[in-house]
Amino acid sequence: MVSKTEEDQVNRLESQVENGGGGEWEYLCLVRKLKLRRSYNVLKYGLSILNDPKKRSAIGPEEWTLYEQVAAAAMDCQRLDLAKDYVKVLLEKFPESKRVGRLEAMLLEAMGLWEEAEKAYSSLLEDNELDPVIHKRRVAMAKAQGNISGAIEWLNKYLEIFMVDHDAWRELAEIYVSLQMYKQAAFCYEELILSQPTIPLYHLAYADVLYTLGGLENLHMAYKYYASTIDLTGGKHTRALFGICLCTSAIDQLTRGRNKDDKENLQLAPLSALALGKDYKQRAPNKVSMLASTLRSLKLSS
Amino acid sequence: MAEDLVLDTAIRDWVLIPLSVVMVLIGILRYFVSKLMRSSNQVPDPKMIKEGQVVIRARNLRAAANFIPAKSFRSRRVYFSNEENGLLYVPKGQAQNAQAQMFSDPNMAMDMMKKNLSMIIPQTLTFAWVNFFFSGFVAAKIPFPLTQRFRSMLQNGIDLSTVDVSYVSSRSWYFLNLFGLRGLFSLILGEENATDDTQRMMQMSGFGFDPTRSLGAEKDSLDIVQHEWALPKFEQRAEAVLKKLVS
Repeated sequence: MVSKTEEDQVNRLESQVENGGGGEWEYLCLVRKLKLRRSYNVLKYGLSILNDPKKRSAIGPEEWTLYEQVAAAAMDCQRLDLAKDYVKVLLEKFPESKRVGRLEAMLLEAMGLWEEAEKAYSSLLEDNELDPVIHKRRVAMAKAQGNISGAIEWLNKYLEIFMVDHDAWRELAEIYVSLQMYKQAAFCYEELILSQPTIPLYHLAYADVLYTLGGLENLHMAYKYYASTIDLTGGKHTRALFGICLCTSAIDQLTRGRNKDDKENLQLAPLSALALGKDYKQRAPNKVSMLASTLRSLKLSS
Repeated sequence: MAEDLVLDTAIRDWVLIPLSVVMVLIGILRYFVSKLMRSSNQVPDPKMIKEGQVVIRARNLRAAANFIPAKSFRSRRVYFSNEENGLLYVPKGQAQNAQAQMFSDPNMAMDMMKKNLSMIIPQTLTFAWVNFFFSGFVAAKIPFPLTQRFRSMLQNGIDLSTVDVSYVSSRSWYFLNLFGLRGLFSLILGEENATDDTQRMMQMSGFGFDPTRSLGAEKDSLDIVQHEWALPKFEQRAEAVLKKLVS
């Protein structure tokens, strides 16, 4: 996750370069360091540097890193001709390098030649068992081919070794949700919450999954996690506010015939309804009536 | 007897400064040599990586245990510290073997030897050089007064027992540089440099058992943790936040 200052810095540099103020090399370095995916910009500015021999020599030995970065960006923007050229240049310079081999396999993958790419990745993995990037590219390939169960298998194997990689856990959680395997998705989100408990996104996703799973206990837990999301975002997160309202009405539905004495205190619903109303009035005043009718229908069903 | 000895400025020009310069240059030389020698074996051991990651994951579990529901925490705890196939469980026999294994593994032994040599040889040589050339005279005066205890340490070459302890020999200047140039090296050479002798010496003592002992330690601390679900507290906090927002 990128910090706020770094995000500001990137945006500032981006606007600066777009308006012709120079500083392309710094922008590219920052994007590379933070591993952001701004392929269009990277391609544009990288090309401007690489095609100008004066600027190219000004960078010196970092030129090859720039080639690698621009080649990857070209593959992302489907400019495969450019990517092929740069990979060839890198191959000439570093014939036996693993990094260039990886880039070559990525090019095969971008061109859609799945078999060759699979073979290339397997041979790379034989030499170097523990390269996380290659593992992840294999997962991405399986997913792109539509082989979701293969992607799950590879991702699980990867996570057995590298269990701290939270991006991988997040990817696995999203795959499980897309396959409606909610229990497993809940497990993945729990891992994410464990490693980074202060990120509201994970609480929210976990609450969504719990709400979808259904059942009284899960609904109570989902209610609590929506509450924690609200706490972590200062009450401004619309989805969490809606989540509270929905959870409350669902719990009410389920406990309708039961003993009212041991019903938990669900104070948050009216408060969040008020907060939602305020938010909508500020940002989308023409939808306030729709909001009011929805909330009324939720309350009515209890 | 606190009389002021007047030290020749030639001492400063020909002893203190050259000694510092030589030590800085030797440090830089060692850095480059270690960089050259290191590039050969870069293959990380898969088991070590997995153990490292397991430790981090277990630590995360301990730290954020109160954020996940009790049932999930318990199932994870069992997963980690299970007797048969728990991730953190290390049977007694294996724990002792780790260090022996490390010494018998040829790569690792060579690595350690190389690191040791690159550290010990320049130190020994420089020390011998200092002793040979720069002994037998007073090199510098320490600006603050010291007790008599330091005499044996700081005044190695000076065989007069009446000289104030603040007047030290060049050997103590050597030691001062040895420990003090670390900051300078991290400025010149960047963060990671092989000249961090003191750090290395501290690491050497705790080297052998690192992976297996840390697993056992993690397992013990995980067993101790009491789970107290923090989410109800969050609920109340959210209530307060919303109240403030709405009012």
